[in-house]
Amino acid sequence: MIITREPEFLPETPNVFARLGRAVLLSCRESGRALLMTGEAFLHMRTMFSTRSRFDVMYQLYITGVKSLGVITVVALFTGMILALQTGLELRRFSQQVNIGTAVCVSLTREMGPFMTALIVAASVGSAIAAQLGTMTVSEEVSALEIMSISPIRFLVMPRLVALLVMMPLLTVYTDIIGIIGGAIVGKTQLGVSFRAYFDNAVAFAHNKDLYVGLFKAMVFGVVITAVSCHQGFCTKDGAVGVGLATRKTVIVSFLTILVLGYIITRVFYK
Amino acid sequence: MIRFEHVSKQFGSKKVLDDLSFEIEKGETFVIIGRSGMGKSVTIKHMVRLLSPDKGRIWIGDDLVSEARGKELSRIRLRFGLLFQGSALLQWLTAGDNVGLPLRQGSNMPQEDVDRLAEEKLKLVDLSDVFHKHPSDLSGGMQKRVGLARAIITDPEIILYDEPTSGLDPMTSRTIDALIESLRVKLGVTSVVVTHDLHSALSIGTRIALLEKGKMVEISTPQEFIRSKHPAVRDFLDANFITKKPDWETHPS
Repeated sequence: MIITREPEFLPETPNVFARLGRAVLLSCRESGRALLMTGEAFLHMRTMFSTRSRFDVMYQLYITGVKSLGVITVVALFTGMILALQTGLELRRFSQQVNIGTAVCVSLTREMGPFMTALIVAASVGSAIAAQLGTMTVSEEVSALEIMSISPIRFLVMPRLVALLVMMPLLTVYTDIIGIIGGAIVGKTQLGVSFRAYFDNAVAFAHNKDLYVGLFKAMVFGVVITAVSCHQGFCTKDGAVGVGLATRKTVIVSFLTILVLGYIITRVFYK
Repeated sequence: MIRFEHVSKQFGSKKVLDDLSFEIEKGETFVIIGRSGMGKSVTIKHMVRLLSPDKGRIWIGDDLVSEARGKELSRIRLRFGLLFQGSALLQWLTAGDNVGLPLRQGSNMPQEDVDRLAEEKLKLVDLSDVFHKHPSDLSGGMQKRVGLARAIITDPEIILYDEPTSGLDPMTSRTIDALIESLRVKLGVTSVVVTHDLHSALSIGTRIALLEKGKMVEISTPQEFIRSKHPAVRDFLDANFITKKPDWETHPS
C-alpha cells in the first residue's frame, strides 16, 4: 500500500446533493483506506518480535500503557464514585443501598470501563499519534521511509496497533478495579455500606460474560483508535494547520465510532 | 539511466509537466533549475514514484518505475538515495541511528556493523562527532549532510537532491556542492539535483536543464547554458546577475 498520496483537486459543484454525495463517497473511501491500512498492520504483526521492531513495540507499550495511568486513575476513581453516589442515593429511598456494589460493578465492567478508557486513550494517545504522524507526513519523513523501502505501516502503525491491542484491555481492567474501589469509598463514607457488604454484593452478581464483553470492546476500541489516528496522520496536508485539523478529526471520529460500535457490541451480546 | 518519455502531470487545472521527455546518462550530474512552481520537485518525485504520471513512462535503466508496484517498486527504490529539501530526518533518532535506519530496518545486518557503516558515511560527509546528537541539536547544513549520509548508506546508483542548498548560507552551500561533486567522483553515482541556485548548478552540473511551464526549454552543458539565446534562460541568468550586473554596479549613485 502506498501511503504518500497524490494531491487531489476536486472540481467545485454548486449542487447541494452533489456535494453531499461526494462527501459520503469520500468518507467511504477514507474508511476503506483506513481499514486496508489496519489490515496490513495486522499482517505485519508477525514481525513484532524481530530485532528491528521489538524496541518500537516496547516503547509504544510504555507510552500507551504506563503514560496513561495517571489520568485513567483519576477518571476511573471519580467515575466509580459518581456511579455509586447517583445509584446509591436512589436505592437509599428504597433502603436498597447495599446493592450499589452490583450496580457499580456491572456498569463498569460491561460499559463504562471500556468506554471511559477508550475516550481517555483516544484523546491522549490517539491525538498524539495523529499529531506525530501528521508532522512526519508534512515534513516528508514518511516519504523518506517509503524511498528507503521501509514500510511506514510496519514501522509506524504496527507497533502502535500492538500497543493499543495489548494495553486497552489491561487499562480497562485497571479502570474497572479503580472504579469499583471509588464506589466502595462512596458507599462507605456517604451511604453507610461496609466494604465487606459492598464487595460481597459486587462479586455475587457479577458475571464473567460482562468482563469478557468489556474486554472485547476494549480491543475493538483499540483497533479503532489506531486506525483513525494513523490514517488521519498519514492524510495530513497543509503544514501546522493540517496537523491541528488531523488531531481534532482523530478525536471526533474516534469518539463517534467508539459510541456507535459500543452500542452495536452491547446489542449483539445482550439481546 | 533515467528516461522520461512524454510524461505529463496535471494538478487540478494546472499542467505541471507537459509531454516531458529527456534522458540522464549514467555517472553524470544532471541539474534541473527553474522558477518556483515549475515542477522541479515534481519531476524527481516521479523518478521514485512518490508521484505517478498522468501520461507517459519513466524508465530507470530497464525498470519501468512509472508502473511498478509492491516489491518491484521497493527494489527499484533501493537503487536511489534521496536528499529531501528539509532533510526529513526522524527527530526521535540520533544522527547515527538516522543514517543507519535503512540498513537496520531493511537488512539483517548486526547492529555493530550498521553503526560502523553509519559512522563511515558520516565521516564521508565531514561529520565525525555528531553520531549521538539528535537532529534538533544540529544546524541546517549539518542536518542536510546527515540526510546525505543516510541517502548513501545503501550505496545507491542514483542520488536525487531536492534543493540541497536551500536555506543555507553561501559558504555552507559551497560545502554541500563540494560534497555532491566528491560523492560523484568517489562513488561514481548518477546525481540529479533540483535547485534554484544557479551558482551551484554551474559548478556541479555536467548538464543543466531549465524547466519552464512543464517543459525543459534548454538542456546543455554549463558552458553552453551560459551562452544560450533562449529568452527563458537569459531571464534566469539575468535574475542571477550572471550575464547582467546589478543596477547599483552599472549606475552607482
